[in-house]
Amino acid sequence: MGLLGVGASKTARAVALNPAVSRWAAARGVLRGESALGYIFVSPAFLYMAALLVYPLALAIYFSVSTASVGDPAGKFIGLQNYADLFDNEVFRLALRNSFVFTFGSALVKGLLGTTLAFLLLRSFRGKRLIRGLIMLPWTVPIALTTLGWQWMFDPQFSVLNWTAIHLGLIHQGVNWLGTEPYAFIAVMTVNIWRGFPFTAIIILAGLTSVPTEILDSARVDGAGFLTRYRKVIVPMIAPILFVGLIFDVVFTFGDLSVVYLLTRGGPINTTHILPTLAFQNGIQGGDLASGSAIALFMLPVLFVAVVAMLRLLKRRET
Amino acid sequence: MTSGLAYLALAFFVVLAVFPVYWMVITAFKQDPDLINPRVNPFWFHLRPGFNHFVYLFEHTNFLHWILNTGIIGVCTVLITLAIGIPAGYALARLRFRGSENFAIGIFLTYLVPPALLFLPLLRVVANLGIIDTKWALVAVYPTFTLPFCIWLLIGFFKAVPIEVEEAARVDGCNRIAAIFRIVLPLSVAGILTVGIFAFTLAMQEFIYALTFVSSSLEKPVTIGVTQDLIRGDVYFWGSLMAGALLAGIPVAILYNFFLDYFVQGIAQGAVK
Repeated sequence: MGLLGVGASKTARAVALNPAVSRWAAARGVLRGESALGYIFVSPAFLYMAALLVYPLALAIYFSVSTASVGDPAGKFIGLQNYADLFDNEVFRLALRNSFVFTFGSALVKGLLGTTLAFLLLRSFRGKRLIRGLIMLPWTVPIALTTLGWQWMFDPQFSVLNWTAIHLGLIHQGVNWLGTEPYAFIAVMTVNIWRGFPFTAIIILAGLTSVPTEILDSARVDGAGFLTRYRKVIVPMIAPILFVGLIFDVVFTFGDLSVVYLLTRGGPINTTHILPTLAFQNGIQGGDLASGSAIALFMLPVLFVAVVAMLRLLKRRET
Repeated sequence: MTSGLAYLALAFFVVLAVFPVYWMVITAFKQDPDLINPRVNPFWFHLRPGFNHFVYLFEHTNFLHWILNTGIIGVCTVLITLAIGIPAGYALARLRFRGSENFAIGIFLTYLVPPALLFLPLLRVVANLGIIDTKWALVAVYPTFTLPFCIWLLIGFFKAVPIEVEEAARVDGCNRIAAIFRIVLPLSVAGILTVGIFAFTLAMQEFIYALTFVSSSLEKPVTIGVTQDLIRGDVYFWGSLMAGALLAGIPVAILYNFFLDYFVQGIAQGAVK
């Protein structure tokens, strides 16, 4: 405790050396002005988010119930007409379904791959840091750039995947990955899965390494087999961090425009559109702010569920 | 699982993760005829590899501008994020005031409002502010998605600073502000650095705002420039495209890797503690 110096008061020493006393001090807000300082410290964040997040959110909701367009951003209020039009629109309905399949289907595969990889990374072995760095490449290189690489890998004429498959005798003719259904959808899901499984693995690994070995050992002594151990001991312990990772992943994937936009622009014939890309197409390329906003707002229900789930997790943590 | 099988499985994952990047690397160095010749083995070079795609990138495109833009946007975003986030993080970690818990939760929940929803109204906001079609539009807007997560991480890092040390200094005569600068901040440098790097990588990964707000080639960040502007007519110059993607992507990946441990620790602290 060199910080205290020779002349430190008895109070200071007491506080420094006795955790109970310092907890009391903190709980009483012993040092005055805490409240005011607190508000001052959070006000920049509060103001910034109010101006650039809450206000635009409200504006988006307004757009969706109006006739706003790029040429006429004020528009007139027309109630839920935009939403009704969307429900009649086949392209929209497909995009909505695609968003769910894309997000949750990918999440499932990412979960399986990530879990397997996490267990493999539990062991220590030579060159582990390098291996881990290599395995994280899909996640650490910015998504638009790796998607570009995949776009080249899926090229209709020069795809290396096709070249390999043909030379292995698996197929006779190259697959036009990005130009035909259902390959295009498989392609976008593949890229999303490829990009995300390292993140899942690293999150699960963090959870696994935080399970104290005594707990694992005592479970082993009790005669529990691996699967039982996994279910009854490991899963509950890593559940919080797993949950957090899952929510982040779902939220990010659900709102991600880049993979689909770069690979297919939503094609062929609108079959790979997801909500973000359709919102972009209608809102920016079509100039229809109202329709674009309405489409984008359909993401809210899923995000709302994510919000509720996170809230319950956070509340449970506080108790 | 036997050791041999485990190593095989690990090798599978490494190949899976690395192959597309490997593909990008050799494409960047391959000569054009090699790229379109189906008769040669595509997994290695046929004609001698060269730097011509890289040279093309620097001499005939706005690549340098894009890299500069990304750098400026990234650094400014990090500075703003830290300037707003550190006080907020500290307050939520250490200070008691009414509404602090709700504010923390509220800030965190804003992370769940995606850019894909806000990009249309923000287009109008940015246009009204007169910064549309410039990199400053992105600087202004990027903290909306860096702040929530970064504040959450910062709360975790600040809470990890032992409160006894802070209390001791304050009871001894330091006021709180001085204590923050002399004790809390130095002790959380690793965490702050991690949050800064993470904010930078978030800014680099961003796509929809950059795509929507900026159309002048000279103002684009590198992810938009490389993926949108390196296509002439309908022809993709894959060699240069991959060269550009690598030059922009690999340094970020390396940087991210160094701080990965801290980053995961930050998530774990937030989730589990």
